[in-house]
Amino acid sequence: MAESTGAARPTRRTVLKTAAVTAGGAALAPRTAVAAGAGEVAAGPGETAVVTLSVNGKRRAVEVEPRVTLLDALRERLGLTGTKKGCDRGECGACTVLVDGERVKSCLTLAVMRQGSEITTIEGLAQGERLHPVQEAFIRHDAFQCGGCTSGQIMSAVACIDEGHAGSDQEIREWMSGNLCRCACYQNIVAAVADAAKGARS
Amino acid sequence: MKSFGYTAVRDPGEAVRLGGRPGTAFIAGGTDLLNLMKDGVTRPDRLVDVNGLELAWVTETASGLRIGGLARMRAVAGHGSVRRGWPVLAEALLASASPQVRNMASIGGNLLQRTRCGYFRDSGSPCNKRVPGSGCPAIDGWSRGHAVLGGSDACIATHPSDLAVAMVALDAVVLVRGSGGERRIPIGEFYLRPGTTPHVENVLRQGELITAVEVPRTGMARRSRYLKLRDRATFEFAVVSVAAAVELNERRVRDVRLAFGGIGTTPWRSPEAEEVLRGKDLTADTIARAGRALVRDAKPRHDNEFKVDLVQRALAELLEGLR
Amino acid sequence: MTELVGRSVARVDGRAKVTGAAIYAADQPVPDALHGVLVMSTVARGEVLRIDASAALAHPGVVAVLTHRDLPKLVVPHFPYVKRFIPMQGTAVHHVGQPVAIVLATTLEQAQEGAALVSVDYRAEKPSVVIDDAREPAFLPQPFRDRPNEIRRGDAASALREAPVRLEARYSSATRHHNPIEPHTTTARWDGDRVTLFESAQGVLVTRTVVATAFGLPPESVRVVAPYLGGGFGAKGPGWPHTLLTAAAARVARRPVRLVLSRAQMYTSAGHRAEYRQHLRIGATREGRLTAIAETSTAQLTATEDSVFNRSDSTIGLYTCPNLHVRHEGVRLDVASSSYMRSPETTSHFGLETALDELSWQLSIDPLELRRRNHAEFNQETGERLTSKRLLECYAMAAERFGWARRQPRTGATKDGDEYVGWGMATETHTFAAMPSTASVTVGVDGKALAQLATQDIGTGTYTVVTQIVADALGLPLRDVQAQIGDSALPPAGLSAASATIPSISGSVDQAARAARDAVVALAVADRHSPLFGAAPAEIETRDGRLVHLRDRHRHDTYRAVVGRAGEPVRRTATVLNQGGHTYGVVFLEARVHARFGSVRVTRVVTAHDLGRVMNRRTARGQVLGGVTWGIGHALMEHTVFDRNTGRVVNPNLSTYLVPVNADAPPEVETLFVDKPDPASTAMGARGFGETPITGVPAAIGNAIYHATGRRLRDLPITQDKLL
Repeated sequence: MAESTGAARPTRRTVLKTAAVTAGGAALAPRTAVAAGAGEVAAGPGETAVVTLSVNGKRRAVEVEPRVTLLDALRERLGLTGTKKGCDRGECGACTVLVDGERVKSCLTLAVMRQGSEITTIEGLAQGERLHPVQEAFIRHDAFQCGGCTSGQIMSAVACIDEGHAGSDQEIREWMSGNLCRCACYQNIVAAVADAAKGARS
Repeated sequence: MKSFGYTAVRDPGEAVRLGGRPGTAFIAGGTDLLNLMKDGVTRPDRLVDVNGLELAWVTETASGLRIGGLARMRAVAGHGSVRRGWPVLAEALLASASPQVRNMASIGGNLLQRTRCGYFRDSGSPCNKRVPGSGCPAIDGWSRGHAVLGGSDACIATHPSDLAVAMVALDAVVLVRGSGGERRIPIGEFYLRPGTTPHVENVLRQGELITAVEVPRTGMARRSRYLKLRDRATFEFAVVSVAAAVELNERRVRDVRLAFGGIGTTPWRSPEAEEVLRGKDLTADTIARAGRALVRDAKPRHDNEFKVDLVQRALAELLEGLR
Repeated sequence: MTELVGRSVARVDGRAKVTGAAIYAADQPVPDALHGVLVMSTVARGEVLRIDASAALAHPGVVAVLTHRDLPKLVVPHFPYVKRFIPMQGTAVHHVGQPVAIVLATTLEQAQEGAALVSVDYRAEKPSVVIDDAREPAFLPQPFRDRPNEIRRGDAASALREAPVRLEARYSSATRHHNPIEPHTTTARWDGDRVTLFESAQGVLVTRTVVATAFGLPPESVRVVAPYLGGGFGAKGPGWPHTLLTAAAARVARRPVRLVLSRAQMYTSAGHRAEYRQHLRIGATREGRLTAIAETSTAQLTATEDSVFNRSDSTIGLYTCPNLHVRHEGVRLDVASSSYMRSPETTSHFGLETALDELSWQLSIDPLELRRRNHAEFNQETGERLTSKRLLECYAMAAERFGWARRQPRTGATKDGDEYVGWGMATETHTFAAMPSTASVTVGVDGKALAQLATQDIGTGTYTVVTQIVADALGLPLRDVQAQIGDSALPPAGLSAASATIPSISGSVDQAARAARDAVVALAVADRHSPLFGAAPAEIETRDGRLVHLRDRHRHDTYRAVVGRAGEPVRRTATVLNQGGHTYGVVFLEARVHARFGSVRVTRVVTAHDLGRVMNRRTARGQVLGGVTWGIGHALMEHTVFDRNTGRVVNPNLSTYLVPVNADAPPEVETLFVDKPDPASTAMGARGFGETPITGVPAAIGNAIYHATGRRLRDLPITQDKLL
């Protein structure tokens, strides 16, 4: 067993389990995660922890080293590749997701820090076949070209409207500026956000 | 990123106990730390996640404002007390980063963010701040983003925090907790100029955690503003910035605090410029003299000479707006 | 006919893109793939002496560290692989950020840390990385792609001497990077001697050729798959080393390998717009008619290549000018290879269009009028009449809408609050390419159509336009047509670069669809079970999925019924050879300069373009919006910085290499189109367009700044410090 720093306190509910990883082709030392208190994670260097997230309304467990970002957990472990990696440094916004309802850059947070969180990604916005109003507005206003930034733009837009920062074009321009669009269809993004915001208000 | 150990804590005592071990770093928002780790600029052995501590509050008291070290930038910027009584804080926060990062980043972490100097962030370049004694390529290299005040032969990197500039203008006090107990550090004494030890950026000791920032209630604070100039409309670090807090008697300056970003190696307070203004009317002439006092000791490099001029213009703009 | 072509049809790939369902190269699930991360040279010039991989190999999960000792010998492919060497084939280092090793590991994090743990010793020499520091003087490179770098017409020297009015000026612009949001990425999977690459590629066939050549394989052994592409802007057109190295590593490791370049690595891996200087001398009459242009440009070249990508096409031929002398010179520097970037003419065009503005002030002639007076009716090189050039119409439309006639003919005349307001204009033009393309269209037994061709959608709307063309030609609703592209196994089509997609593919898609329609009609009239049995094919109309007898409308059938009865799909293929040409337009804009800070915003823009037939108004407008904001980035902020001592890029990111954010984009952009089919086009009257609408913007901004302030700035980007 690994050292038990984080497990010193009593646990009501064990959310982590011991995990040994052997990946194909590579000789890996067995690694162990440490059970910790509810909502807490601890793992030593090289160890993995099982983190439980609620992703798009589904409970998902993902086994990761502490150094794995939320973005790479979503893309590389959970197969949710709709969230894009543009810069991996918080400078482009392509990886924007909602965590507990707030927009964050998933490249700038570790999966282990999000134990128990509600994550919404682009895959979770539509209700079955019915698109989210922001998704519809993006199509209606041609608010994307290559699509590389689009998932992040849309997640950011959903939050922008929810925060009440879509009151005017000027306000949208500022509050959507954390998401770069290199195709630069910014005017159409503003129009889509304004349109969706109008729908949300009425 | 190096493999590291990770512990999430709920108890401040445990946080400082774990954080006191060499090679340990606290992580709150993570918005700067993770970039530094990805770039190999810092390689901690262990992270202590302090987000479980009950430090994400903002309260207004008779003597002023208390902001928990884990309050998020967005929460502080949108707080009614902050906007009414300390507007420069809200303005500086809203001029920072992006909406997403403001949702994530903590006040304590914001004050501790590292310079954006491209040489510091490039582990393939020498840098005295990253590898003491390796040299400073910025001094003879690309220096547009660098400081004209407070530099040394070892380092001319600027401190990037807008919030810190506003805090300096408000005479804030940083509360820290470490294994040796709690300390109150006036923000004017918190940051260190590079001198010969640019890797030592502040007075924090290993394992000390910023638990809160106290901002005194003053007449100046209510009349405070932030102006940030940059090379694109938004989502960029300051080329130059100014935080001003002024208390006026008619047009006469009873008291004033001036702090600057983008021009100094630390969030830059200018007692010299304040002294010029104190007791004087805010005329174009006194403002210009204050600007000259600010840059009297400026030492521009190849690419940043314009900042000496630009920061005086920014100061004039802000003070004229406060008349 | 429903005539979908030309309308503002919503993107058919919209749903996939707004739901995250669109699968980009790095999203492709590939079981058992290793993650690869490149180790890049930290020095600019020298040699690898020793590579110590022991720490990396000791890191858990690291499977292999491959260096030049481990890779197979590869053949350097010809153009469009623009680099003249392949890294990791030897020890020589020609630029910072040249791959020297590749680390393979089970997880991405292990591979990244493994790469950080590889220790490399170099023998390093002092590099020269900016034009000012060149070790040797500029020279005239050999022709590149058969195009000479020295162009003469008439006698420019004499004409300049004799010109009643002369203007001489020097213009310059910094290095820029494409920075598509999606990083370059390759996933290589070998199956014996065949390899499949999931690649972010602007040309699946180009990449196939490059890989096949490098590995000495027949092209059909290489398959390149790129159904979606998160932007390219030229960076993903040529083949680049990371693709070859990933394929080589996968071959050595006998496992699929996925590699994604980091943002920082993109600054040395896939080309850039080269640092550029331009010396222009112009002679004119007092009426403003150009009599001579002499231009010498100096571009950054590299230690291993002397390719000039930023040619002076508009200097050579945009305006009527009998005497011309253009030299594209270069200097060798120790930097990574440059390449094409949206749009390559922009660098030289900035100088020409600024110089014309300067001339207009010198002569007190309105800058628009000056351009009209020099309008070229004839191709300046061949003398042919330019029959379907509608630039004058563009000038008229946009000037009217902008209100150009109200322009104050003096500088500094308008101040609004804290800002000086200025108006500027410039002509826009781009030389587009077009390539031979084949397409197939299949009508299935379900009555639905599938178009297939090895083109790409780089965001410009290829899926949508192909679907529109097929729907129109067959008379099917949009929802019954699908386009399958982005796979080198499909019928061969052109590269999506040089604004070539629409002019390359439209004709073949249209012809294949029409042939398929005719085949289905032939089936119907020959089918005893069809109400149309015995009718003349010319009497059949196809519309909304139905085949209707024109004179006797009670007689009708459907695609589904006809092909269903036939029992097998109807597939037709068509090939069209195409040719490139020029598109034209104009941009008028308003810029505001902060009186105190010198910061510039672009607040209002009106453009008009002649791109022949507009295939889809909304995707065409999207190209204008993008081009305008690219022009703003080019004029006001973008700038790659090299450290002059080490050659390292100091700002290899998106926080200090500034691209425009939403708040930088002008709130108001009016996009007008002449929209008349070009009879010479083989693409249903359309011409290539995507790159045209950036070309004039930087000069228009500079010209507006001059109008606002009287300050003439000739070095880009124009950051606020230059206007203090």
